Parts: sequence; structure tokens; C-alpha cells
Amino acid sequence: MRQFTIISKRILQVLVLVVLLPVSCDDFLDKPLQGKLTQENFPTSASDALLATNGVYNIMLKSSFHFGLFPIMDIMSDDARKGSNPDDAASTIGPFDKFTHIATEANLSRWWSTLYEGIRRANVVIEKVPVISMNATLRDRYIGEASFLRALFYFDLVRAWGDVPKVTTSTVPLGLPRANANEIYDLIVADLEKAISGLPEKSDYASADLGRATRGAAKSLLAKVYLFKGDFVNAEKYAMEVINSAQYDLMPDFADANSKAGEFGAESVFEIGAIGIEGTGGVQYGNVQGVRGTPNRGWGFNRPTLDLMDAFEPGDPREDKTIVFLGEVLDGITIAGDGPTLDETYDTNGDLIEIECYNQKVWTPGNNVPTQFDHNRRIIRYADVLLMAAEALNKNNKPAEARVQLNKVRARARHGNNAILLDITENNKDLLHEIILHERRVELAMEGHRFWDLVRTGKAAAVLGPLGFVAGKHELLPVPQNEMDLTQNTWTQNPGW
Amino acid sequence: MRRILLLIVFVTLGVTNAFAQTRTIQGKVTDAENGQGLPGVNVVVQGTARGTTTDVDGVYTIELAAAENTLNFTFVGYKTQTVQVGERTTINIALEVDVLTLEDIVVIGYGTVKKSDLTGSVSSMKGNDLNKIPAASPVLALQGKIPGVQITTASGAPGAGAIVRIRGVGTFNNASPIYVVDGVILDNIDFLNSGDIQSIEVLKDASATAIYGSRGANGVVMVTTKKGVMGQEYPTISVNADYSVQSLTNRIDLLSGREFAIIANEINPGSYNNVDAVPNTDWQDLLFQTAPIQNYQISAAGASAKIQYYVGIGYFNQKGIIPKSNYERLTIKLNNTYHLSKNVRFGNNLAFTPYSQQNTNNNSVFVVYRAQPTVNPYQPDGSYSPVPGVGNVLADLEYTNSYGKGIRSVGNFYTEVDFLKYFTFKSSFGVDFSYGKSKSFTPVFYVDPQQQNSTSDLNKSFGDNSTWLWENTINYTRNFGKSSLNAVVGYTMQETASEFISASGENILRDGEDFWYLDPGNIVPTTVNNGVSDDLNYSMISYLFRANYTYDRKYLLTVTYRRDGSSKFSKDNRFADFPSVALGWNVINENFLNDVAVLSNFKVRGSWGVIGNEKTRYDRRYSSVLNGVGGVFGAGEIYTTGSTYGPSGNPNLKWESTYQTDIGVELGFLEDKLTAEIDYYNKRTEDILIDLPVPGYLGNGDGASITYNAAEVLNKGIELNLGWNDEILGGLKYRIGAIATTIHNEALKVKATGGEGDYQPNGAGTTRTSVGLPLGAFYGYVVDGVFQNQAELDAYPHLSIAEVGDVRFVDTNKDGVLNGNDRTYIGSPIPKVLYGLNLEGAYKGFSLSIDFQGQQGNKIYNAKETVRPALYNFEQHVFDRWTGEGTSNTEPRSSAGGYNFLPSTRFIQDGSFFRLRSISLAYGLPQQMIEKIHFKSAQVYVRGTNLFTVTKFTGYTPEVSSGSVLDNGIDSGGYPIPSVYSVGFNVTF
Repeated sequence: MRQFTIISKRILQVLVLVVLLPVSCDDFLDKPLQGKLTQENFPTSASDALLATNGVYNIMLKSSFHFGLFPIMDIMSDDARKGSNPDDAASTIGPFDKFTHIATEANLSRWWSTLYEGIRRANVVIEKVPVISMNATLRDRYIGEASFLRALFYFDLVRAWGDVPKVTTSTVPLGLPRANANEIYDLIVADLEKAISGLPEKSDYASADLGRATRGAAKSLLAKVYLFKGDFVNAEKYAMEVINSAQYDLMPDFADANSKAGEFGAESVFEIGAIGIEGTGGVQYGNVQGVRGTPNRGWGFNRPTLDLMDAFEPGDPREDKTIVFLGEVLDGITIAGDGPTLDETYDTNGDLIEIECYNQKVWTPGNNVPTQFDHNRRIIRYADVLLMAAEALNKNNKPAEARVQLNKVRARARHGNNAILLDITENNKDLLHEIILHERRVELAMEGHRFWDLVRTGKAAAVLGPLGFVAGKHELLPVPQNEMDLTQNTWTQNPGW
Repeated sequence: MRRILLLIVFVTLGVTNAFAQTRTIQGKVTDAENGQGLPGVNVVVQGTARGTTTDVDGVYTIELAAAENTLNFTFVGYKTQTVQVGERTTINIALEVDVLTLEDIVVIGYGTVKKSDLTGSVSSMKGNDLNKIPAASPVLALQGKIPGVQITTASGAPGAGAIVRIRGVGTFNNASPIYVVDGVILDNIDFLNSGDIQSIEVLKDASATAIYGSRGANGVVMVTTKKGVMGQEYPTISVNADYSVQSLTNRIDLLSGREFAIIANEINPGSYNNVDAVPNTDWQDLLFQTAPIQNYQISAAGASAKIQYYVGIGYFNQKGIIPKSNYERLTIKLNNTYHLSKNVRFGNNLAFTPYSQQNTNNNSVFVVYRAQPTVNPYQPDGSYSPVPGVGNVLADLEYTNSYGKGIRSVGNFYTEVDFLKYFTFKSSFGVDFSYGKSKSFTPVFYVDPQQQNSTSDLNKSFGDNSTWLWENTINYTRNFGKSSLNAVVGYTMQETASEFISASGENILRDGEDFWYLDPGNIVPTTVNNGVSDDLNYSMISYLFRANYTYDRKYLLTVTYRRDGSSKFSKDNRFADFPSVALGWNVINENFLNDVAVLSNFKVRGSWGVIGNEKTRYDRRYSSVLNGVGGVFGAGEIYTTGSTYGPSGNPNLKWESTYQTDIGVELGFLEDKLTAEIDYYNKRTEDILIDLPVPGYLGNGDGASITYNAAEVLNKGIELNLGWNDEILGGLKYRIGAIATTIHNEALKVKATGGEGDYQPNGAGTTRTSVGLPLGAFYGYVVDGVFQNQAELDAYPHLSIAEVGDVRFVDTNKDGVLNGNDRTYIGSPIPKVLYGLNLEGAYKGFSLSIDFQGQQGNKIYNAKETVRPALYNFEQHVFDRWTGEGTSNTEPRSSAGGYNFLPSTRFIQDGSFFRLRSISLAYGLPQQMIEKIHFKSAQVYVRGTNLFTVTKFTGYTPEVSSGSVLDNGIDSGGYPIPSVYSVGFNVTF
């Protein structure tokens, strides 16, 4: 056949070669993950172990870690109102102020999911680091840090929601039930005991490692956990161990307990390190509550109530150091406030119900937004430990010893003015208990303790009832609706929700 | 697989001929019109399978046995001639162009087929219809023209493309079809100028799409670009210029300043002391402008003896109806075919498209919708006024500076070799390279605490992606008596890779563009980001086969098979098979219809097959480690990096498979004056990859999900395509076309393993797809009234925050408690019927064309009205509010946000619409006048696009779409689609 030319022959030869081309499908079709490790290969070394440990701390930089962004635990108390201007977030944060929040609030699911995200990250360290061949002391420290943080996350979960799923592995199975709150408390105690044994004291850390979990932080948190469980013997034991460790002291000036200058200071037991940028390393907690309007450019949520102002004893310098009033000059900046926000708000009877003011405990010097991301939120500070010790000692019938710890806090607050905040001499156990709780309120105001303290001491209904609190319901938050939906109603919602 | 290929090669090679006593006939086949030699004409000895083809000059030589006396000359696009040889040894033939068949060639995957031989469901569009819509994307010209295809304008922004859905939505993932441009498989054709396109074919059923296997499930759009025609030695040069003006079609009816003050006083008493003395700012007027589109195109096409060529150069420039948005593009198209010898051709189809664009603030429309009208845009000192809650849109515009530019190069080089009479081997190497970069700059400014920037910011990103595709096919075409067989086998490889790098800096030295560079002093280290695009990093190997068999022009059979392997899946799930089979019967060619003169076409066809969808990210199967998650430690507060487990992947992922059945009937009456094509389709997609939300306790983070092959979806419906052509009143030619498509879309299964989750929500929770519902079904409360008084409120189950005057939600599950479980299905974003109506008429040089387009039965969720964290402006209906018992049972008391704005039927609107898509009037200059100036044709026209839309929807446009199947039909305030008025001319010479 003539048509079968030379060219065609050659081409056919090429064609057959093409069809038979020895391509290995498997190699060509293998596309490994680019630029990232897979979980099977991490963490496997000492440096990986450090990275994985740092990854747990990272959760606390997320805005959603902080009560889902907004400090709803204070807003749900008699210490604070929603804040900002009346319309701002009225439908998303407003409900927490009036106890009309429901299970679909986005802040609740954000907070829930973020706490569990932290737990998973802690589980990576707790599960994988023990088998890494590395310095044993360092290994125990990493595991101790992760155990402390896991306990911290679970403590928020169990206080906020009661029964919650118990997750102790990095590969989490589906279909978990809500574990009994006691089971969660047992896990928290075990984690903190492990942390206590593995962690160094604050003074044993290098300066560059300040902000990492310490033995003192673990003991302080454990004291607090026992306080919530009503185990005052153990609460006293661990609080006193912290006091006797001589690792901590009160800052001379109350303001520095939370100020920029006091960061990682003597009073700091555990705080979240943050840097002043609106990005990696910054924390929005201070920005959300920061002074609204010129020049501070904060959002102005979580506004102190008149009731809180009234709670301070006459002349207590802590009032002015807790609350930013309009016209006040801070770090050379005159607080002008926000235009659309009323300076004073009255109810229909003409009674003053709210004034424009802000939470001074998150104040950072500066006049722009990034500086507000610099605030280190204090999770546990020494004054809290002293007051926990006082409360537990009093419950354990040691009023004199209780007063010693209580009066340390008052003495510092006095700031050299012996005419105010006189030492407490009360001997009656119940009355002293009330005094200690009052001291907690004014000393730790706006730091996210008030709601929990009212609930754990059984006072929530009496104090918060007028604000909308319903006993038997509002002690716990509703489990986020999307979590309920995902279990296809195999979980039972908290009572009353 | 290789063995099968070899077997086919050898079996077909084995067919040989042996004969004795021959004579040789030779001659030349020419085009009857211009006398040029026609290459590639089939010359077949009647009654045998023997034949030859003419060479590049149209010359042929064939040997005949003693008893053989008849030759058939056939060539695509020309009328077949049959010749008695007799004693002649030279037979020259002039073939006449067959206008009918020329239009009836349909491009399908890896080949072409005569429309009458087609067994699959394929719709074509060609010629002038492609140039009617003044838009960057040629796809928009298909809107309302092709049954089974829903095309939605993605946005009114300059250069915006289209969202294309063929026969419903069969996946939760990327539901867009693939595009095959001259054989190169692509994700979109936004880089093509419609003036360079010869034809577009949409492949819809499994018989047509299975040859594209794992990529065929969403349909295939075949694009053939223009080529020079052999024999056309004198080039055709065309010039087209088009100028358009765009303007906002309609406004949203929002409150005026006074009206707003009245409502605001109800919500927060005392907000405005005198509602008659408040400013009245019309933010819509301040935002929108009229804006031009310019579109110019010049092309040259022709051929020498050995080379066919086409060169097209186009320039497109669109400004936006929102300031600071525009798009500019140059398109360069080069298509050449070189006839190296009688049997060997080499060719290239290349497109180069540089573009640049400016992007305005994407949020502007939403901001304008929400801005309080009682705020003056400027303060007395000329600075921008703070606008509560949303910011000042004019400040947004001034301080937004966002630019992008890039180039996309798409094309292929191929060699075709004809051998052994019936075979053609083709090897094509295709590429798709694109490079893009973007930059955005925000200066220091201050309007209010929510709208300010305290350090200037510069963001830059650079990215490229590249695909190569090597396809090798052997085509076999042969006629055996009454039978004819066309088969193709092939082997293809493809690899797609991508990389991007982005970084940002702060405190840029000066605001001007000359300073928009990152240097070590201003770069923010933690914002540097470098990686691959997760959906553009994969490789594939495929084997393909198709056979079309026709007997006696009556009975048709098509068998298709493709085997695809993709790197996106793990080894065990990597390969999958996609077969299909189709049958057709040209009833019209049966003898019993010979006498039925009224009938000019009657064909019945049916197909079944499996096709796949692999459009998923390559990394979904991996559980990755998340980097850059550190803590801040030390007295000096140093950010110290960290790593941890990222979201879990699913190593067991596999392909999505679609089982599609199609039954079609094609009819023609009165010599095809009236044509009808009706198709029934039924597509069931299994193993759909869905991101199922997982419980928070898995620790994957807020809103996290995991991908599973966990869903099944059904799409079925009927497609109708009717046409009527006629000529009346001595020269008035007209055509009426109508298309309609019904879509039934339903999730048959949405379920993850392990029992968690039996629905698929969108991010905002306003849609929820579950069994029995359409994809992306709206989800919320059902409103059945307004609580008129306390007694009524007490009598009904209600949310604790509901008050008198608020909307009443229905206790849909009738458990006596109103809570989240009472949210339910409240509407579908998918239309039940799509339709189009096209009218054309021509008389003495004038031609009028009117296209209508519409859809029926879908709902739109007016999301922009619902999200109200602060007091925003309202739509006019707030004035129907409840103000006391008996005042309203539909519109609740006025409130800034909260309860009454929870997702509910209150925000569901009818999305049906009927639109005048395009109307144009053209005048072609008379032939005598044109010839005098040596033109072939000259035409001027005026045209209107999207001039009016009939709809109940209250937003800018009922064309509300989203690339995401789960966010479909949600109006969050997108860039409005403008009305466009154009003038232009076409000249060819």
C-alpha cells in the first residue's frame, strides 16, 4: 500500500512507543502534602515537643478563648453591663446582661469549641511527648505544662456547662456522651497533680520562659478547683503551699496587679502573654473592653455598674484603679469617651442606672488599637490565692489564720493610708465568710470571677435574681445548640434550657 | 489497559484487502464555488469498504476491480456525489457546499459527529449569538439559550464571570462544568474573547460526557475557536467595535432620613427631637455611577496551500458602576495548522490574555444598605462622618486601593498523522499557564473607632499555576457497506501545580503607589505566607475509548469508557472506571415514514453511564500539622512559634460517581421549519464529598468539619428546545426559539459515618441540606403572625425573649416547646423551571433580535436584612409594623435587631423572574454599496442588555448566586448587575 509512507511508518513506531511508555502510575500519581507535616510524623523530637507545647498556649491568644470573645461572665454578674453604645451587639451580647441568652448564641459555641481545641492540643503533648527520646526533666515539664492547660480548659467547661464530653486523646472518637461533672473534676485534679510533679517553680524558669505554667500556678488552680468542689481542706492545703513557697508577693501598688508595668511581676501566678499587634501574638481581650471613642479606640464592652461602685468601701483606692471614669487622665491621656454613648443613662422613673465608664484592669498605655492587644489577661494572681486561702482557712475553722491572708490584701489596697480599709478583726465564721467574699468582689472585680463566685457560694439567685437569673437554670449555660444538633438529640440539654 | 490498546491496534491492522484485475482511476475534487482543490475528501468504492482520501491539492488515485463501477465522494459539509465510472480513467468532481450539514456537525470529546449520528444530548451555539452580551466572559452569552443549563452572572463587578450549572446541582463541592478549548481541559474560559470562538457545545448526558470520565459529572462545555479555512487564499479581515454604558437597573426602597428617624424614635425613644429636621442622605445615590464598557476586536483568517491561519486581537475595558472598580484585558489568539505532507499535520491553538483590574471595597453595597440616612456623609469641616455600625462608605472607597494583574496563556501544539487509510493518530500537548499578582494599600485614617487604620498597610501576593496535558489518541473511521464505525482510543497524562507567596507590611513611608513595596524595615514577618493552592496541585493518568457505530443511517450505538487515576486520592481509591452506552434510532430514515411529508426529522435516543467528579482539594485526605501557632513568653514578651495538629483529614476519600440516564426525541416538521428536541434526564450522584460539621469536642476548632463521601443527590427533569423558522411577506425572515428546563433536585442521603450529623449546613446556619430536600435548602423558623397581646403570647409556645408585637414562630414539631428544633425547611434556592425565549427577524438589511430569559420556583433569602448587630436602615416595609393590637399580623413591632431578625420565612422572597436579557437592532449596509468600497459586509447596531426584569424580589437583582452550592440564593448585598446600552459596528473585508 502506497499510502503507508515512510513518515507514517515512523509515526506508527513512535505511537507504539507512546502507548507502551513505561510510566509508573504510582510515582506520577503520588502528591504528598506540600509544606506541611502530617500528623503521623509529629511530634517526634525534642524540638517538636516544644513546638507542640507552645501550640497549646496559642489557644489562649485566640479571641474566642475569652468567653467566646466578650467577657460574658462579668456581664452576667452584678459587676458589669453589656457596655458599648446601646445598639452595639444588643442582640448578641445584650442577652447575657439580662439572662435572656439562648442555646444558639454564637459566643457559646465559639467558646466551647475553642476550649476543646485547646484540649486536643494538650492531648497531643500528653500522648506523644512521653515516647520522645529527650531530656527527662524537660519532657516532664512539657507534659506538666500541657496537663496544667488541659485542666484549665476543662475547669472552664465544667463550670460553664456541668457535664461535658471527656476527651483524653488526640484522635477523638465520635459519639461521646456528656461525662458526669465529677468525672471531669477527677480528671482536672489528676492533671493538676501531674503538673505539680512535672513543673518547676516560677523562679526556676529562665526569664525568657515567664508565662509558662509553673508548679505554683498548678497548685493555685488546684486550690481553686477544690474551692469549687467544696473541699476546703485540700483548698487550704494547696493555697497555703503556694503562699509558703515564697515564689509570689503582692505588687506594692494594686494597679500593677493588672497593669502593663506589672506583667509577669511578683503577683503573677498565671497570665497570658500578649504583644501589641493586631495579629499573631496579640490578644483582643483588652480591645473588646477598651475605652470607646477618642483616643483609645476600644469597643467598650463590659462596663462597670453603679452597684459595683457602691460595693467599694468609702475611700477604697481600688475603685478608681478598677474603673476608668470620663475625664480621668491615664498615662497622660484624657478620657473623653464616646460620642454616641450617653454619659449618663436614666430609667423611665428618672433614676440613674448607668454611667459611661470602662474596665481599667485591661487598660494599656497608648492611643491606638494595637496597643490594646498588648494586655496580658491575668488568669490567677497572688491576691486571688491569698483570698482563696482565707476563705478555706475560715471554712476550716481557722479564722485568725484566715484574717492574716485577708488583711494582706487589704493592707496592700490601703496603699499607705491607714485611715481606710482597716484590718478585719471579725471572728464569727459566717460573717467572716461574707467579708472574704466581699473582699473577693472588690479586689478581683472585672476579672471574670464574680459570676462563678456567686454560683459556687449559692448566692447567685439572691444577688442576680433581679437581673433575670433563674435558680436551677442559669447556674449553667445551655449546651450550644449546634453541638446538641450534631448528637441528634442523644444528649440532654441542661435543666431549664 | 495497555494490552487492550495494542489489541485494538493489531485487530484493525489485520483488516487487509486482496484483489486482482484492477484499473486505476484518478482525478481532482474541487469546491464547486471557488474551484479550489479539496483535501481530505473520502472516495469510496460503492458496495465495498475500500476507499481513499484526496491529498492536499484535492487529487486522488483509486484502484477499481473489474466489476466495480461506482464511486462515492463524501466530505463533511458538502453534498455527497455518486459517480458511474464507465470507461473513464480521470474523473474530476466539483462538490457543492451543503449548508444544512455544515451546521450539523457537532463537536464532541476527542472528535466530531454528524448531528444525525449523535446519540448523546449535546446543545450547540455558534456565530453571532456568542457576541451579543457585552461581558468579559463568553459564557454569559449562553444565558437563556441552552436547555438544561443555568447560567447566573456571578456579580456586576467588571470582568466578573458566570456561575454555570448543567442539569441541576449534583455535588456539594465545585459544581461547575469543565471547559475543553480545542482539546485543552480547563476550569473556565474567562480568558477567551467571544469574537474568537467558532462554536460552543454543551455536553450534558453520560454518553457525551463519559469520555471525560472523572471530570464529566457537572457537564462539559466544548469550545472550538476560529480557524482559517483551506482554500481561502484571500484573508478575511473583521473589525468589530462596541461601546456600552452601564447603569444601576433599580434601587432598593430604603427609608428616608425622616422615615428612619420615626422608626428610630420608636426603638430608642428620644433619638431624634424633630424628625422633620434630620438630614436625608441617599447613600445609594452616593455610591453608584454610570460606567462605560469598550470592546474592540480585529481578526484575520485565511489559508495558503499548506497553512491555515487565524489571528485575533481583542481589547476589553469595563469600568464598574461602583467607583474604583474596573477590568481591562487584551486577548491574543493564534491558531495555525501546517500541512506537512499529505498525511501529516501539525498545528497550534494559542491564547495569550494579559489583564489588569481594580477591585473596589467588596462590602460597599452592604454598607450602603445598612447606613443610617440621618447621617450626613461629611462633617462641617469636610471630613467623613462616622456612620454608626457600618462606617462611612465614601471613606471605605477612598481608603480602599486594591489592584490585580496577570496573564494567562492557554494552548496546545498537536500532530495529526493519517495512516493505514482509516486511522488518524493525534498527539496533543496542551498547557495552561497563568501568573497573577495583587496589591492593596490602606493609608492611615480615622473616621471613628470602628472605621480607622492606625498604621498604613500594604498587602502583596504573587501566584502562578501551570497545567500540562498530554493526550494521545488514535481515531479509526471506516464505512462497511451500510455500516460505519468511528472509534477512538487514547492515553492521557496531566499535571497541575501552583504556588503563591503573599506578604504584608506596615508603616509604609508614603501613601503614593511609588512606595508600595515591601522592604525589611516594614514587613510584618508573621504575615508572609507561601504554599500551593490546594485545589491546583494534582496529577492524573487516563485511558479512554469510544466507538460510534451506525447502521444504514438508522441505528446508532455509542460505547464509551474511561479509566482515570488521580493523585487526589490514596492508593487504594485512586483509579475509577466510567463507562457509558447509548442507542439511537433515526426513525425518519425508515421506509414507513417516506410518505409522511410533513415530518422532516424524527430521532429517538437513550443513554446511560457513569461519570465522576474529582474537583476536591488534594489535601483533604491528609491530617496535617498546623504551623505558626505559638505563645508569647518572657519578660520581653517574645512570640515563640509552635505547631499542633490541624483539622483531621479523611484518608478513605474516593470519587463522586454520577449515574445518568437520558432519553431524547428530536423532531422536525415542514422541512425543519419547526424543530423540537425533548430530553428526559435523571442523574443520581453517589459518594458526594461533603464537609460534615463535627462536634466541637473533636477539637478541630470552632465551625470545623471533616470531609466524608457521605451524600447522595438526585437531579431529574425535562428539557425542551423548540424552534420555528420561516420567511413571509416577501423577504421577512424570522425565527422563534423557546427553551425550557425543569429541575427536581433532592438530597437522597446526607450522613456521616459514626452517626454524627445527618445534614449539611452553610457557614451562617441559614441553609441546611438534609434528606428529601434540595441542596442548600433554606432553614429557619416559620412565621405565622404577630403576637397581638399578652394573652396570645402566653397561649403559644414561644422563645423566652419574644414579646407582644413580635413575630410568632410555629411550633413545627408540635412538642409544645419553641426552641431550635422548630427551625425547618423554609424554601429552595434552586429554580423548578428555567426558560428562555428568543425572537429574531430580518428584513432588507435590518435585523432585530430579542432574548428573554427567566426562572420560576426558587426562593431568595434576604440575608442583608437580617444581620443587625446595631441600628441600621430598614426597607420600606417596616412602616407596616405592628403598633398595637390589630395593627399588623405580618410586620412585627420595630426593633433594631434580635428576635424578629432570626432566620425565618419573614426573609424568604420569591426569586422567580422574567428578564429582557438582550434586545438588538442591526442594519447591514446594502451589498452594492459595500462592494464599491471593497467590503464583504458592514453592519451597525444598537443593543440593550438586562433592560428590565419582572420579579417580586426587593433587592437589586434576582440573579443571586454563589460559587458555593450551600450558600446559593442568599442575598448579602452583592455587586448589582447593571443595565447596559450599547452601540457598535462590524466590518469584514
